[in-house]
Amino acid sequence: MADPITINVDGTDVQVQPGMQLIEALRGPAKTDTPAFCYHPDLSVAGNCRICLVETEGPRGWALGISCHMKTGPGLKVRTQVSSEKIVKLRKGVMEFLLVNHPLDCPICDKAGECTLQEHYMGQGRHESRLDDDVGKQYKGGADFRFIDAKGEDRGGKKIDLGPTVVLDQERCIICSRCVRFMDEVAKDSQLAIAGRGDHAYITTFPGKPLDHGYDLNVTDVCPVGALTGKHFRFQQRVWMLKSVESIDPSDSLGANITIEYNLGQENGKVWRLMPRRNPAVNKSWIANSTRMLYKELAVNRFTDGVIAGQDATLLDATIAAQQAINGARKVAIVASGHLTTEDNAALIAVADKLGAKAEIFGGSWLAVGKPDGIARSGDPVANRKSLELLGVKDNLDELVARAGEFDCLLVVGNDLWAADASKAALLEGIAQRVVLSSWSNATTAKATVAVGIRAWAEVRGTMVNCQGRVQQLNACPVAPNPDLLPAWQVVSGLGGLGWSGEAEAWRAAVARVPQFAGITYRSIGPMGQMIVEVATPAAVGA
Amino acid sequence: MALYTAQPTSWKGKDLPNILSRLFAVENGHTLAVAKQHGAYDTISKMLFDKSQFELIQAVIDSGLRGRGGAGFPTGMKWSFVPRNTGKPVYLVINADEGEPGTFKDRLCMTRDPHLLIEGMICTGYALGVRTAYIYIRGEMLPQIAALNAALAEAYAAGLLGENIQGSGYSLDIYIHRGAGAYICGEETGLINSLEGFKGQPRLKPPFPAVSGAFAAPTVVNNVETIMAVPYIVKHGAKAYRQWGTDKSPGSKLFSISGDVKKPGVYEIPLGMLYTEFFELAGGLNGELLGCIPGGSSAPVLNAEETAKTTMDYEALAAAKSMLGSGAVTPFNTTRDPVKILESIARFYAHESCGQCTPCREGTGYVDRILKKVAAGKGCDGDIDLVRDLAESYEWTTICAFAPGAAWPVLSFIKKFRSHFDAYIAKNPEHTSPRDLATVRPGAFW
Repeated sequence: MADPITINVDGTDVQVQPGMQLIEALRGPAKTDTPAFCYHPDLSVAGNCRICLVETEGPRGWALGISCHMKTGPGLKVRTQVSSEKIVKLRKGVMEFLLVNHPLDCPICDKAGECTLQEHYMGQGRHESRLDDDVGKQYKGGADFRFIDAKGEDRGGKKIDLGPTVVLDQERCIICSRCVRFMDEVAKDSQLAIAGRGDHAYITTFPGKPLDHGYDLNVTDVCPVGALTGKHFRFQQRVWMLKSVESIDPSDSLGANITIEYNLGQENGKVWRLMPRRNPAVNKSWIANSTRMLYKELAVNRFTDGVIAGQDATLLDATIAAQQAINGARKVAIVASGHLTTEDNAALIAVADKLGAKAEIFGGSWLAVGKPDGIARSGDPVANRKSLELLGVKDNLDELVARAGEFDCLLVVGNDLWAADASKAALLEGIAQRVVLSSWSNATTAKATVAVGIRAWAEVRGTMVNCQGRVQQLNACPVAPNPDLLPAWQVVSGLGGLGWSGEAEAWRAAVARVPQFAGITYRSIGPMGQMIVEVATPAAVGA
Repeated sequence: MALYTAQPTSWKGKDLPNILSRLFAVENGHTLAVAKQHGAYDTISKMLFDKSQFELIQAVIDSGLRGRGGAGFPTGMKWSFVPRNTGKPVYLVINADEGEPGTFKDRLCMTRDPHLLIEGMICTGYALGVRTAYIYIRGEMLPQIAALNAALAEAYAAGLLGENIQGSGYSLDIYIHRGAGAYICGEETGLINSLEGFKGQPRLKPPFPAVSGAFAAPTVVNNVETIMAVPYIVKHGAKAYRQWGTDKSPGSKLFSISGDVKKPGVYEIPLGMLYTEFFELAGGLNGELLGCIPGGSSAPVLNAEETAKTTMDYEALAAAKSMLGSGAVTPFNTTRDPVKILESIARFYAHESCGQCTPCREGTGYVDRILKKVAAGKGCDGDIDLVRDLAESYEWTTICAFAPGAAWPVLSFIKKFRSHFDAYIAKNPEHTSPRDLATVRPGAFW
């Protein structure tokens, strides 16, 4: 961080970082609400919406400029809507122009409630309409605007199917070019473009080509209006009916930051969508489509009760049966994994410690590790691998398979071994008692002698350590297919008689084991995560 | 080849310059052989190569030559902004995307005397250390493209272009790049985008092209006519160039005059001539003057009274709150209808807005539709004020100078010919009825 400099905003001196975008300085340190449609902190500056106009003092007096394209420098003097009538008037003018060709269909628009245009209208517009019918809107959604191009593609108009995930309502588009820039700069696959010019310019794909990319749903987030909407969320819920909790992507070791958006309107509530949550150090503002679609699994094929020897059982009966299986066993193999939170693994380790020589802990996953895509996925499907390493659990599932004959009880938690590698997992079927805790009915619960349902990732509070070594938090949304389900750590705590009272206690147990976690508390992690503490490698004894 | 009749060598006892129009009326003046007889490429010799780059740039600064494309930016100063020794090439791009309505001087230059342009480019290229230069030409100008291609071939064959020009050690290649006929590609950064193969939309400044232009390298973009004046300055010096024109607007300029005059065409005259004198040179006016667009359609219009007392130079027009622009002079007489003229101009700007910035994209179309309604006799009270208000809203709020150029004719026509507009409103029998607002709810639907 460079030394802060002083700029003057509306007559008040403000300390800011030198060389930062003026709009960020205004919104941040200067606490001056500044509207923007085309500006996005994680995209290049296009400067086309013109709503962030401010006046700055230059050698030739006060001049108009856009705050998204200006950098802060020593002695910069700025006038915003707070002190300049001219800015108020011009922004009102820009807002009027934006609305000339934008329909007033907020009541049926999916974006209503989280629409930047709607939001800033109240701050910057608030004019009476001066449009009359004769000179009115050039409805890009209307029949006049629709046309068939040389390749027979439908262009312009309403509800255009852009590809497998995104729908375009052309008449709502304000040509901010954010989606085009997202595809160009982040996805690095220029599938969208603005065709035409003037007020008949429109967003389109190349003739005959769909918008089809593993990150294309991010264009619906960057769209400041309701022009681009995701098929998965279109007409599902009004956004003001949604509540949200902050969490992270549990399907990848980068742990892209997300919010879980849910409501309790239906029986036991429902998660309606996952949205990216900006974290400049992790995923910027982006999440992969695959991450976004994880919410669908939360309501499908859930393992909500228990199974004992192939027969349905209540959660309580199944838990008791699991406890008996462990207590009665000669030797227990406990499988920790990077799919679980640090708390869950800490509980498994604590149980193994308590059982002493009777138990042995194994860990790992058989899932294939891919390559980072440079956007919001590391390619490693084992989200909490780093934490498992720090807890000192080896990736030694193959050893477990080789030594399966030594054990008469297996405890697997939230790790679908039979789906990951059925042939290796088959060798574990020789173990007499197979206790499985799982959120979903899957190949592993099918092979269990005792299976107990647990909460899924969206329903628990816990921490994961991403591949960068950043401790990040999952938070629980109060939506669960069965309200009696417990988080894994709690079930494990019960099985082993640990008597832990909450996640925080489980976390403290992890901190006690791992020097890199020293001083990290739930409170200190915060929404942006916290890097693990660097620990000097101790010199080898006797070296 | 377009018809061209030589302009008189003197007018009212004063000589007229022929710095740029020397070969316009010469038969086959566009060929190298004929052009050489008239002194073409004289400068591509020790005259140029013995001078240092600094001397050449200083000579252009001293000459007071200003950009002839419309903005009138001092050419030498523009050149002096080019950073040296950046490790990147310096590009020279000739803006031959002549598109300002009423302007037709560059096309004549390129058909009648393409070699003077090439000579100017060699001089400029040498002064700026350019290895590769482009002529960005409007796509529709087919005869001009043909003439330039023929001239380039002749120049290459004569060793005037390519490697080691005339044994000087200096090398220059010139490429012709055809645009697709968009007005906005005459804006220098829009032109550069188009040259690079992107959509012709102006770029945010800074960085300015002199620092980071074509292919992110330092780039100088100059109009055809500007560059064609450079050989004269190299040959005769800045002082000789200053014998023409006024102290602050020195030199000669090509003016394209059309409209209600007897002999429309391209004339080369010294800057600082009275408009009324110029009309006489062009054969005199048809009918009684109502007003005059002094410098292309984006220049604010002058009424008859202002036209009569204004001289044709940058300062006098700035004082009259207008501009010299590209030198397209369009006088119109009292039989013409300013409302229809403005309607046509507004249609042009709505059609040509690149669609990048909100105010210009939506504002030009909005104004166009209202003016169309007014001209159709369906205007209502308040429409003209609305148009003026909209034009003021987009005048200074965009990336490039297109929006002000679109706003100025609107604002000036309404200011100077308000009674004509009001007469149109009065034609609507229901003009006083409240406008048929899509909504009268304060604050829309909240």
